[in-house]
Amino acid sequence: MKPDVDRVLQLLSETLMFDLAPKLQDGYAQSTAQITAMLLTAATEEWDRGAQRRFDENAAIRALFREALGVVGKPALRSDLEASLKPSDANIRISALERENNELRRVLIRLHAHVEELEGEAARSLEDGIWAELLESTVRRKISIAPF
Amino acid sequence: MEELAARIARYVGRCIPDADEVEVKELERIHGGASRETYRLRVTFRQAGSSQQRRLILRRDPAGSLIETDRATEYRAYQAFYGTSVPVPEPLWLEESGEWLERPFFVMEEIQNCEASPAALLLPPYAEHLERIGEQKWRILGEIAAADPVALGLCTTSQLPAAESCWERELGHWEQVIDEDELCPQPIARGAIRWLRRNPPAAAAKLCVVHGDYRTGNFLVAADAEIRGILDWEMTHLGDPLEDLAWSINRIWCWARDDRVGGLLSRERAIAIWEEASGLRAEPAALRWWELFASVKASAIWISSGREISDAKSKDPVLAFTAWWLPNAQDRVTLETLGRFS
Repeated sequence: MKPDVDRVLQLLSETLMFDLAPKLQDGYAQSTAQITAMLLTAATEEWDRGAQRRFDENAAIRALFREALGVVGKPALRSDLEASLKPSDANIRISALERENNELRRVLIRLHAHVEELEGEAARSLEDGIWAELLESTVRRKISIAPF
Repeated sequence: MEELAARIARYVGRCIPDADEVEVKELERIHGGASRETYRLRVTFRQAGSSQQRRLILRRDPAGSLIETDRATEYRAYQAFYGTSVPVPEPLWLEESGEWLERPFFVMEEIQNCEASPAALLLPPYAEHLERIGEQKWRILGEIAAADPVALGLCTTSQLPAAESCWERELGHWEQVIDEDELCPQPIARGAIRWLRRNPPAAAAKLCVVHGDYRTGNFLVAADAEIRGILDWEMTHLGDPLEDLAWSINRIWCWARDDRVGGLLSRERAIAIWEEASGLRAEPAALRWWELFASVKASAIWISSGREISDAKSKDPVLAFTAWWLPNAQDRVTLETLGRFS
C-alpha cells in the first residue's frame, strides 16, 4: 500500500482536525471529530513500531525468565518459565506477537509476586530487573500525545 | 434531537406546577463526563400568565460508560451540598424509570458562562488566575472533608464504613474492576495492588463524603476565576478524606505538563490549603498509600473504557481515546509513586 499507511493516517487526521472539524456547527460533533483525529494520530505512531515493540518486549521478558531460573525453586513456576523461553513460531503478525506477549506477561506477574516473597540478594536483583523492564515497557508504549 | 426535545418537554411539563406551552429549545449534547450522556437545554413555558424560561442540564444513563454508578447517589450528593459552602448546581428532578427517556436521568439548573475544560483554563482569561483557582479548589475539597455526612443527610451513623478498613473496600472494588475488564495482563497495576495490600494505611482520621473524581475538569470556573460549581459526583461514597486529596494531586491531572498538581498549584501548597480547610493532617505515609491507590483506580477506569469499546457496548470515540491515551501514562505515574521510575 503506497503511500505508506502511516502517511495516509496522518493525512486523514490532519484533514479531520483542521479542515472538517472547524466546519461542524454542533459542538459535540466537533469535539468528537477532534478526538477521532487524535486517535488517528496515535494509530499513525503505532503503525510502524507495533510489531517491533512486541518483538523486543517478548525477548526482554524471556531474558528475565532465564535469569529467574537461577533464583526460583518452585516447580510449577519453573516449569512455566521454561515453557515460555522458546518463541512460539515465526508468525510475526501483530496479533500473534500480542498473544505471545499476553502469555509472557501473565507468567511475569506470577514470577514478580513470587520473587517479592523470596529473600536474598539474587531475588532483590531479579525484582529490580522486573521493575526496570516494566518501566521500559511503558517507554515502548508511550505515545507523543500522552500526558506523562 | 427533535424527538428527544419533545419527550423532555413532556417530562418538564409534569415537573413544573401549572406550566403550560412547555418547549425545549437549544438542546445540545455536551461532553460532560463519560459516565452519563449530558445535555444542555433551554426550557420555555407559561406559568400564571407570564412567559418563563430555565436553562437546564440533563444527565442520562448511557448504554455504555466508564463507570457504572447509581445516579441516585450522585443526585443526593448535589442535594446534600446545594446551598452550602461547597458550590454545586441546584438539583431539580431525579427520574429513575425509563418511562420518559428510555433510561434513568436527572436534571439540574445550568450554571452559566463558566468553563470546566482543563485546556481552556490554561488559556486567557483564566491562565493568569491559576493560583487563585487552585486555592479555591483545595479549600473546597477541605470543606467537603470537613462536612459531616450524617448531618448532610447522606447516611446514618451505622451506615458509615469502618475507619480501619475503608481502604480495603475501595481497593477490592477497583481490583475487581480490573479482574473483570482487563483486555491484557496488567503487571504494573498488579504489582501496585500487591504493594498496597502489604502496606495498608493507617485508619482514616475521620469518615467523610468522598467526591470520588475531584480533579481539574470537574468544576466550573467563571471568567472572574471564581469556582461556581463542583460537578461529576458519580463516584461519590463515604470513606477516608485522603482518598480525594490523593486523587486530586495525581500526576495524570498535571495538565500544564509540569509539577503543578491539577495544572494549578505546587503539591505542597495544595496539601497545606486542604489541611487548613479540613482541619485534618495529610499524614505522608497514608497519603502515599492513597496516591498509589488513586493510580490503580484510574487504571481500572481506563481499562474499563477499553472493554466498553472492545465489547461493542459503546461507540463513543471518547472511550477509545481514553483507552489509548491514558493507561500507559497511568502506569508511568504508578511506577513514579512506587519509586520505580528511574
